[in-house]
Amino acid sequence: MNWIAVIIAGLATYLSRASFIALGDRISLPPVVESALRYVGPAAFAAISIPIVLGGDAFADFGNDIPRIIAASLACFVVWKSRNLPLSLLTGMGTLWLVIWVL
Amino acid sequence: MDLGFDRRAALDGIKTIWPLMVPGIPVGLVVGLVIAERGVPAFLGYSTSWIIFAGSSQLAAVELIGDSASALVIILTVFFINARHIIYSAALRERFSVYPLWIRVLAPYLLTDQQFAVSETAPELVDPTPRYRLWHFLGAGVFMWSVWQLAVIAGLLVGDVVRDEWQLIFSVPILFLGLMILSIKNRAGVASAFVGGTLALLGRDLPSGSGLLIAIIAGMAVGAIIDQRTNNHGSEATS
Repeated sequence: MNWIAVIIAGLATYLSRASFIALGDRISLPPVVESALRYVGPAAFAAISIPIVLGGDAFADFGNDIPRIIAASLACFVVWKSRNLPLSLLTGMGTLWLVIWVL
Repeated sequence: MDLGFDRRAALDGIKTIWPLMVPGIPVGLVVGLVIAERGVPAFLGYSTSWIIFAGSSQLAAVELIGDSASALVIILTVFFINARHIIYSAALRERFSVYPLWIRVLAPYLLTDQQFAVSETAPELVDPTPRYRLWHFLGAGVFMWSVWQLAVIAGLLVGDVVRDEWQLIFSVPILFLGLMILSIKNRAGVASAFVGGTLALLGRDLPSGSGLLIAIIAGMAVGAIIDQRTNNHGSEATS
């Protein structure tokens, strides 16, 4: 039963991914939807990250901690100025370890 | 249309996705660890990695199997957590419409948050040829997929290798915050990030990731409204 559940859950996930890409230009979306789709990136990436910074998620319980807010803010500043993701990751994690070590 | 293997594109894809993939490693380790801890059969638990292939929904599925939840609950939970991929698919529809059907059917299997983020933020994908875009996508996707499988297997076998005091999982929100900043191209983008982040925070306790989904849709709607009002269509940079 668990196997069947995982397989159907996997199919549902795959169909979500394939849906519009597989349909291709057989359909056309209203202009307002197309315009909304240009903002998936900012909306989704903010929605994924901000709740985790301010408290954690299923993977880790962070609590509402100052060190993580400092680390996340610095990392944001770095990626904004440098457009460099690895650098912002190093900045964020380095700052977090440093602040925890100092406190 | 020539879509033959493009080695440079595939390598560029790997090069672009690796910093996005590294924070996924501790996440994969945690999924493997939870499979072992919850007494879920190892092969079934691992198989979520290739059948579902989406971290947070895999964690939910494994927890639910550990709790002997019904199949229907497992299926609906995973579907809701992963429903944002429908939006990613819609956003990529036009760019993929040049490819033959079999590519449009097979390639989306690899469409993760990170893969979508690459297509949204990589400078080399601003105006590529269809062949370059395809092999960039496949290079990044297959690489990401392989590392994810290894991370979950490692978590299953080695157990508690993620040292909690290092808080490696924190690299995930750092990464997505960075992607948020890279994907903001105008004022409407700032507004959609603000609305998406705020609503996701307020709706974090809603069941099965529905808060996340509502937040994304509301953020997009606000972005579209401001976009139409200012009529700038993504050309005006504010950063």
